[in-house]
Amino acid sequence: MNVKELIKKYDGKAVVDSVSFEIQKGKVTSLIGPNGAGKSTVMGMISRLVAKDAGIISFEDKDLSEWKSRELAKRLAILTQHNNVQMKLTVKELVAFGRFPYSGSRLTAEDNAIIAKAIDYMELGEFEDRYIDELSGGQRQRAYIAMVIAQDTEYILLDEPTNNLDIYHATNMMKIVRRLCDELGKTVILVLHEINYAAFYSDYICAFVDGKVAKYGTVNEVMNKETLSKIYNVDFQIMEIDGKPLSIYY
Amino acid sequence: MKLTKQQWNIIKLVALAVLVLGAIAAFMFIGVNFEKPKLVQFAMKLRAPKLIAMLVGAFAIGAASIVFQSIINNRIVTPCLLGMNSLYTLIHTLIFFALGSGSIFAANDNIAYVIDLIVMTVVATFIYGYLFKKTNYNVLYVLLIGTVLSSLFGSIQSSMIFVMDPNEYDILLETLVASFDNINTEIIVFSIVVLAAVAFFLRKDLKLLDVITLGKEQAINLGVDYDRVVRRLLIGVTLCIAVATAMIGPISFLGLIIANLGRQFLKTYRHSQLIIGSGLIGMLALVGSQCLVERVFNYSVPVSVFITIGGGVYFLWLLLRGKRGSI
Repeated sequence: MNVKELIKKYDGKAVVDSVSFEIQKGKVTSLIGPNGAGKSTVMGMISRLVAKDAGIISFEDKDLSEWKSRELAKRLAILTQHNNVQMKLTVKELVAFGRFPYSGSRLTAEDNAIIAKAIDYMELGEFEDRYIDELSGGQRQRAYIAMVIAQDTEYILLDEPTNNLDIYHATNMMKIVRRLCDELGKTVILVLHEINYAAFYSDYICAFVDGKVAKYGTVNEVMNKETLSKIYNVDFQIMEIDGKPLSIYY
Repeated sequence: MKLTKQQWNIIKLVALAVLVLGAIAAFMFIGVNFEKPKLVQFAMKLRAPKLIAMLVGAFAIGAASIVFQSIINNRIVTPCLLGMNSLYTLIHTLIFFALGSGSIFAANDNIAYVIDLIVMTVVATFIYGYLFKKTNYNVLYVLLIGTVLSSLFGSIQSSMIFVMDPNEYDILLETLVASFDNINTEIIVFSIVVLAAVAFFLRKDLKLLDVITLGKEQAINLGVDYDRVVRRLLIGVTLCIAVATAMIGPISFLGLIIANLGRQFLKTYRHSQLIIGSGLIGMLALVGSQCLVERVFNYSVPVSVFITIGGGVYFLWLLLRGKRGSI
């Protein structure tokens, strides 16, 4: 995926200002930055949830807007934080929606096999007949991830997946992200607030400040004192744990 | 053998259909003198159009309410909140006010019906289409504006009533209360044709409703052209409500009751089942209460009284039940 000169304006003010970057296939890329830096808006545009004002988002050599929505749904999945289902829906039924781009609402035997595998992969077997609104936040998040897995897309976009989760569930979430990339070969792009999660679990980091890309590179390229201090305007110390840079800020 | 939820729901729907058939039989045959064929024929001729009107109206309202609630993602709204009922009342009052009860537009049922249908559809599509576009499909705004419009239409109507001849008002009031007594065959046939056309044109969009309930983001993620589908469905909802209201008059709570009863009864997200279920419950409620009105209360209470009282209590119960996530 290649993003060029992406612009988004709200009331004449550019929230995203000529942003360009290229997403590496088969890697985990984290979008970080302070509040209002435009990272979620960029996420919204590359997942077609938000309309762009100018620029090119070329996805497999074709601009995103030229893709048929249904075809795109087989290649790119997005999971946001707005998941309020008012319906009585069981975990299994939710995961089954992942097959919608392929089979509509009539599931084939192959679909059912993929659904079962996704449920298994997220270790949701014992919950599969429970209703979504009866699950805890962490379990619900896993159910949605299972749905995205069932959607079987090459790209998975996650908008702040660790939001509202405690340390245990958030860490588990990040491990899942890693597994999606390493075991299933997915390209994962995520918006994160917690930079240490980004440092520890992703391959590339793209940092935004004031609607512009402040720094884009591998974890080691971004995670240094000068860059981070410039981005967040706070003092940083960088430590190394398990060969990965972690930051301490105060 | 343990039945799956799907099989259970099909059994439930069949049971509902049997109950509806029972209500139909009760409505058609109780109090008919079967010894004289002429009398039987006369009773059927009187009762059959009423029955069909109720069945069609109930189904249209039930389906429209379910679709509307699913789009809005809220179980205690009905299309009435958009002010369709007040619009109907306003149109009728306006015609009586401007042209008088003796004019052909008020006195001829067919013409009155066509005017209702056209004005309601055009005005509703225009106003709500514009509102949805203007607010960027923010349903909360649209609901708020709908409520304001509702009072606006109501105020205009009541100020006209104040200066109206009391005799005219008497005749007007009759058309403002839901009833099945002045329905003729042409109106019924025309309504069925319109509803069938709506169902036909929206058959693909209706299949996407299950996905749309997951929310806008998820629907787009799964490859649904959200804005377009929602726009088409809302026009369909408007048409259904316009047809039902023009045919039997405003019944404010009916949609709310039957849609919620349907959801509670079936506990599913599948709209094919929800729509059929709510439609059947609506038929049961309407035919059942009309049966009571005619055979027990001897026409002394109009059917809308039952629906409004029952619906009001049920609505309060829905609000006060206070379960998390129930609203």
